[in-house]
Amino acid sequence: RAQVAALIGASPKEIVFTSGATESNNISIKGVMHFYKDKKRHVITTQTEHKCVLDSCRHLQQEGFEVTYLPVGSDGLIDLDRLRKEIRPDTGLISVMAVNNEIGVVQPVEAIGQICKEFNVPFHTDAAQALGKIKVDVEKWNVSLMSLSGHKIYGPKGVGALYMRRRPRIRVEPQMNGGGQERGIRSGTVPTPLVVGMGAACELAMKEMEYDEKRIKGLQERLLNGIREKIDGVLVNGSMDRRYVGNLNLSFAYVEGESLLMGLKEVAVSSGSACTSASLEPSYVLRALGVDEDMAHTSIRFGIGRFTTEEEIDRAVELTVKQVEKLREMSPLYEMVKEGIDIKQIQWAQH
Amino acid sequence: MAASGVAAPTRTEVLQLYRSLLRVARQFCDYNIREYSKRRTIDAFRDNKNLTDPSQLSAAFSDGKAQLEVAKRQALVYSLYAPKVKSIMDIKPS
Repeated sequence: RAQVAALIGASPKEIVFTSGATESNNISIKGVMHFYKDKKRHVITTQTEHKCVLDSCRHLQQEGFEVTYLPVGSDGLIDLDRLRKEIRPDTGLISVMAVNNEIGVVQPVEAIGQICKEFNVPFHTDAAQALGKIKVDVEKWNVSLMSLSGHKIYGPKGVGALYMRRRPRIRVEPQMNGGGQERGIRSGTVPTPLVVGMGAACELAMKEMEYDEKRIKGLQERLLNGIREKIDGVLVNGSMDRRYVGNLNLSFAYVEGESLLMGLKEVAVSSGSACTSASLEPSYVLRALGVDEDMAHTSIRFGIGRFTTEEEIDRAVELTVKQVEKLREMSPLYEMVKEGIDIKQIQWAQH
Repeated sequence: MAASGVAAPTRTEVLQLYRSLLRVARQFCDYNIREYSKRRTIDAFRDNKNLTDPSQLSAAFSDGKAQLEVAKRQALVYSLYAPKVKSIMDIKPS
């Protein structure tokens, strides 16, 4: 418990162990709103949150609460002024994830925390992708609740944690009732092996954060430059400045995403589309960014971590370039673009 | 950590630890863990190359020995559950 707390600048008494960040998100959103349901009926979140946050909000909407989904700019960041305007006297919670899992952008959490303090609204952040990767400080960020995940920092799967501020104390209605473990917040036997694993992972993450970040930044540049040297029409989705170094979400113009994915069999990547839904719709995160439909379909997310090697990066560059060139070669659209035709002006004939 | 009572490691001991760590690293059947162990060992020893304070030297040395124990144990466990399919990076193109 102390190991997890140390990594986020909290006290061990403020850490509750759960089965994962998904559960922590559920407890935060539904638990807080149910507890304060008499006075607070409004939640503010963003359009790019993780599915479990959006789903919990939808559940609240079905119960009669009101939810505002803040839009994001083309760089993936929320507009702070817009956030201020949306806050109402009955706003019970603001939930904004620290680092986005699909595009890697880092939201301005410190500024959001200041706004929440000003309006005295509890601030929840899903820090599953941020923990151990960027500096997390619950005091600086002014968070009341923070969801943490074990397996995202090379710990075991099946464990996570929820940070709950004690001063001022945030109250939640427990989602798991029973014997009163974890201060009554989350009943159920605490899984000792998993929790020990998560603690060890946190301690290691604290020691290795600087070393990892430097190395991963170099690898990210190597990947992006390697690809851009060989092919054009490569777009990075999400802000380049406010981003976590280990995530690179790229769109390749004039290439179809699923076929690119099938060609990249040897590289573990995910396409922008099917990651959260069973349908072939482009991801809602990219849609929120305002990415064109055709570019959204062709997006690929590369993840770089502690164990990624330089050789793997070089191999990924080689395979990606080869696949993109092959697909563009076959594409009549690309031929037209090369001849100088503006695709957007084409009138497609009905058959 | 009672580092004040422990003598600083000799050059031979440090080199022996370095070689042992690299030897264990090679035993990992998982490509990523193997590469990580090698890389991390080399970088850590390089970073500590210029330490002169005896208590710092002892601390770094004990840390290294602890990591060696972890690596030995894990290399064994990994080999017990080695997957049949090798990583794509381990398969040399024919």
